[in-house]
Amino acid sequence: MRLICSGVRRRTGTFQLSADAVFTPGMHLVTGRVGSGKSSLSRLLAGLEHPDAGIVRAEGISRTMLSMQFPEYHVTAPTVTGEIRSWGLSPDVILHETGLAGRENDHPLHLSRGELKRLHLACVLATQYDVLILDEPFSALDCIRKERLCRRLETAGNGITIILTHEPLWLPKTDMLWEMDAGTLRSLGRIPEALLSWADAPRPIRTVIDRGNLPRNITPADIREARCRTRG
Amino acid sequence: MIELQALRHRILDIPSLTIPEGHCMVIGPNGAGKSTLLELCAGMQVPTGGTVSVYGTEPRRCAVGWVSEFPDRTVVFDRVFDEIASPLRFVHRPCDETDTRVRETAAVIGIDHLLGASTREISGGEKTLVALATAVIASPSLLVLDDPDTHCDTHTTRHVQQVLERLPIPHILQCTQDMDTASGADTVLYMEGGRIVHAGTPREVFSRLISSCFYPECWRDDSCV
Repeated sequence: MRLICSGVRRRTGTFQLSADAVFTPGMHLVTGRVGSGKSSLSRLLAGLEHPDAGIVRAEGISRTMLSMQFPEYHVTAPTVTGEIRSWGLSPDVILHETGLAGRENDHPLHLSRGELKRLHLACVLATQYDVLILDEPFSALDCIRKERLCRRLETAGNGITIILTHEPLWLPKTDMLWEMDAGTLRSLGRIPEALLSWADAPRPIRTVIDRGNLPRNITPADIREARCRTRG
Repeated sequence: MIELQALRHRILDIPSLTIPEGHCMVIGPNGAGKSTLLELCAGMQVPTGGTVSVYGTEPRRCAVGWVSEFPDRTVVFDRVFDEIASPLRFVHRPCDETDTRVRETAAVIGIDHLLGASTREISGGEKTLVALATAVIASPSLLVLDDPDTHCDTHTTRHVQQVLERLPIPHILQCTQDMDTASGADTVLYMEGGRIVHAGTPREVFSRLISSCFYPECWRDDSCV
């Protein structure tokens, strides 16, 4: 199972996106500044948009899911219950999981953004995919929900999971690190070695590396362990 | 100053609260009522019971700037320039003045390169910056930001906070899920279940949250900037 970007180029106005990459099964984290092209890349990887040049090739992949940055883009029903059913899921299970019991008849757009994100992610993660692409899945979630989402993603059993985010702290155990830099996708390699070349690493990770402690991975527990590690 | 008395509205239950001038951050779990509180202070909702006042006046009678949690929802115009200009055009300010203010505001916020872009084609973080420029161009006495950093990277979040520090706006009310950002405020309100559980300086409030994930990470490793 592989998702391959071969000579991918896409121009939007003056912005040029370039990607040459092979995504294999495991957890991939794509980071990058606002406007660096992460969301555009996510749409290309999901096949929602097509490159001007090059090709995105899915080998051995039959089920792909893209979770977009703004959960309201996914809403198709006028009630929370209807929205859950539109995913082919049981409302009882999802309402319990998201803590939204009592909100069954509310319009999904009347939920707070954090609540809507919870609802959307619970619907997404109720099914397994060969490729799961999550564009800013942590945005709007509180730290309790971010932590739960990380654990859920680590045990979800999807084939290739690609998370595109600038979340600095609440990150799941990750295999491969990528960086979007002004429209160009770069592979930084396998974690933890990749962390050493992560120029724009989030402050908690940068701080422990600068103090001489390379974390084993990028979860908050890994950062805390590295922070408290005694050398000698 | 912002004063709330005997406030009952949806899940909110706040007997009494005074928010002093300066930058106030509202934090807490999803569904705590943070956005509802912000909407009441901005005059976008009228309380079912009790009162909200800004300098003794109903919020709806004050000049309030608003940055939405959904930046897509408040965009009216297709071009960034027209979007930022809209608050001045709606009150019929002269074209020359409007043009100058748009360029000055965009420069302060660092988005002058976007003025000719389509509001539909810019990124989520850029939409937040455009919404901020639109909210402040008319010099409001209260600026309300509903989780603006949710679509921003760390650099952009820091940039937004630096811009906010420079703006001559007496009251800034902001909710956030970024505790490192909240730690730099003048006042912090921690909400749960529609109630204000802790209120005070960042040091006072976060000292009560030290064993939770709401404690600023940069205070744990002494890396705050």
